[in-house]
Amino acid sequence: MEFIVAKYNYWIYIILMMIGFYAMIAKKNLIKKIIGMNIFQTAIILFFVSTAYKKGTTLPILTSADAHGEHAIAVAQYLNPLPHVLMLTAIVVMVATLGVALAIAIMVYRRYGTLNEDEIIKAMK
Amino acid sequence: MTEQAPILIVVIPLMCALMTPLVGWLRKSFCYPWVILSLTISTICSLLVLNTVIHQGVIHYYLGGWLPPWGIEYVVDHLNALMLVLVSGTALLVAVYSKRSLEQEIPDKIVYFYTVFLLQVTGFLGIVITGDVFNLYVFLEIASLAGYALIAIGEDGAPLASFRYVVLGTVGACFYLLAVGYLYIVTGSLNMADLSRILPELYGSRVVLVAFAFFLVGIALKMALFPLHVWLPDAYTKAPSTASLLLAPLMTKVAIYVMIRVMFTVFKPYFSIELLPVAQIMLWVGIIAIFAGAIMALAQIDFKRMLCYIIVAEVGYMVGGIGVANAVAIKGAILHIMNDVVMTLGLFAVAGIISYKMRHHNLSDFSGLFKKMPFTMAALVTVALSIVGVPPTCGFFSKWYLIQGAIMAGSWVFVVALLFSSLINIILFFRIFEIGYYSFNETDEAHGHGHEESAVINEAPLSMLIPTYIVAALIIFIGLYNQPILVNIIQFAVPKL
Amino acid sequence: MRFLSFIVTVLTGAVLIYGTLDMPDWGDPNSPASRHVSPRYITKTEVETATPNMVTSVLADYRGYDTLGETTVIFTAGVSCILLLRRRKKTTG
Repeated sequence: MEFIVAKYNYWIYIILMMIGFYAMIAKKNLIKKIIGMNIFQTAIILFFVSTAYKKGTTLPILTSADAHGEHAIAVAQYLNPLPHVLMLTAIVVMVATLGVALAIAIMVYRRYGTLNEDEIIKAMK
Repeated sequence: MTEQAPILIVVIPLMCALMTPLVGWLRKSFCYPWVILSLTISTICSLLVLNTVIHQGVIHYYLGGWLPPWGIEYVVDHLNALMLVLVSGTALLVAVYSKRSLEQEIPDKIVYFYTVFLLQVTGFLGIVITGDVFNLYVFLEIASLAGYALIAIGEDGAPLASFRYVVLGTVGACFYLLAVGYLYIVTGSLNMADLSRILPELYGSRVVLVAFAFFLVGIALKMALFPLHVWLPDAYTKAPSTASLLLAPLMTKVAIYVMIRVMFTVFKPYFSIELLPVAQIMLWVGIIAIFAGAIMALAQIDFKRMLCYIIVAEVGYMVGGIGVANAVAIKGAILHIMNDVVMTLGLFAVAGIISYKMRHHNLSDFSGLFKKMPFTMAALVTVALSIVGVPPTCGFFSKWYLIQGAIMAGSWVFVVALLFSSLINIILFFRIFEIGYYSFNETDEAHGHGHEESAVINEAPLSMLIPTYIVAALIIFIGLYNQPILVNIIQFAVPKL
Repeated sequence: MRFLSFIVTVLTGAVLIYGTLDMPDWGDPNSPASRHVSPRYITKTEVETATPNMVTSVLADYRGYDTLGETTVIFTAGVSCILLLRRRKKTTG
């Protein structure tokens, strides 16, 4: 039981990732695929951010007492800032990919009038 | 100046890409020389970097002055330097080639096309030069996004092909990001050299194993390794000629470079080859890719689609060569990366010329071309000889080293696959030469009848022909001078097994 | 096809969960990630970058190049959308 409590954050996000991944590869509607892509990437981001947490710590911003260098900064008092930084970049990348994917979906819709992959392939023949 | 060359290689195309819309707003015709200027500077810087690496060894460039692993660093060793020259040189040749082709295919989108073109090149250069795994992810995404856009503006059916590429490409990039994350969780570092220092004690850990697996699968998606290649034929066939000319030679080879980095620099060869049976799996996947690519290429009636399956087979050569896992075969695989960039560039250049002249790119469009476009067909003959593997073209030498390495390791099935692929390539190209030599079209006969030679020749424009000839000349040049290249550069790029 | 996708998804999820078994527990202050690179960001941020917000100092100073890459990604997506979606107005007549 303690085993599950110790690692459940990872497992929840992995299940969320797999929901998104399944939508991406199994669904036929282009918009559903895009939504699945979004869920997959968001779950990865949440997975990482959850690894930055340390028990009993506060946000990675120096309080005014620490900022003026009055005493040594205790590393164990602040969360790990690096995953947060990486995930800020990953969020931006996710949004950019979402934008381009939606633009391509609009192009497909303008040409074929439908967003269902099967119907598009039939229309292409 | 030369100390800053590593960063200039990436930053110059980036800054020029940001300014291209402005330049295009001033006057549209300025974009073409602007792009060529920025890529020329980038190519000169990569040649300078290659020269420095050959004479002084590995270059370390610390971005922002922060030492790794707290800051990002650029590490240029022999493999990197070679890839940088290949990427920037190819981009320059494609830029020179692009003018006429774009004017015909997408005349109203030229300014933004060049912007995304430069961003794509920036992405590739950033992937190749960096020494930090997360930085690689950022530039991989720049390259991928630019690629999705460049492909989607092509002919009918291109948006759907690009959408499929978006889905599969995002899966690949996300798997790569997951792998980076898993490694970070157990090591705390993002720098390649630092990871290679910390990981050996963790080789027994499940996290490291899963991370390695996800690295390879993610990269295999980007590399179009069979059976994850399904996005490639549609995407590169339907893209505009210039876009496929830029993407086809480079995207898969840059992904193979990333795989070599991950397998041999981040994870030591001891892990990749001895602890895990990865080499065996890669060898068999490579063999299947070669057979599948060759057989599917035979079935195509569209010339560009046939070339796409040839790319799938070539990726099989390189992955199989790494899978054989001895020094000779890996030397052959790295030489083949260089050769394949040049050969694919030549093939797609000819395909672009055919598209430009005939508006289609089917095999039947080649009819009578030996009379009408003798120079283009001469270039095609040179590239075809190289793909088949005839000396003194470069293709022969890389195949020679791959076969030699396979014989030394006893991988006879790989030898059979390589020879089978050469045979299929002979059939593929002789079929084209046959169509090209005899005119199967009545209108050709009517027009050609009774006219002088010069009136019949309807050759490609010079701006497209000159890069094709430079490529054909390079194929022979690299073939003749392969020994100096091997001894000075590639020999140091092979990891110590 | 759906069945195959389902199998692939379950397999991927199983491999990922298998990988987490050796990971440090959630919230462990002694995990490798908390001990290796980030202590310097926490202790030296005020001294080296004069920024009390550690995320900002890493984003803009220590790993500022990634931020440049990120803005390039946004620019690429923006220009790609113009490239993909803009249609020339057809002249009437």
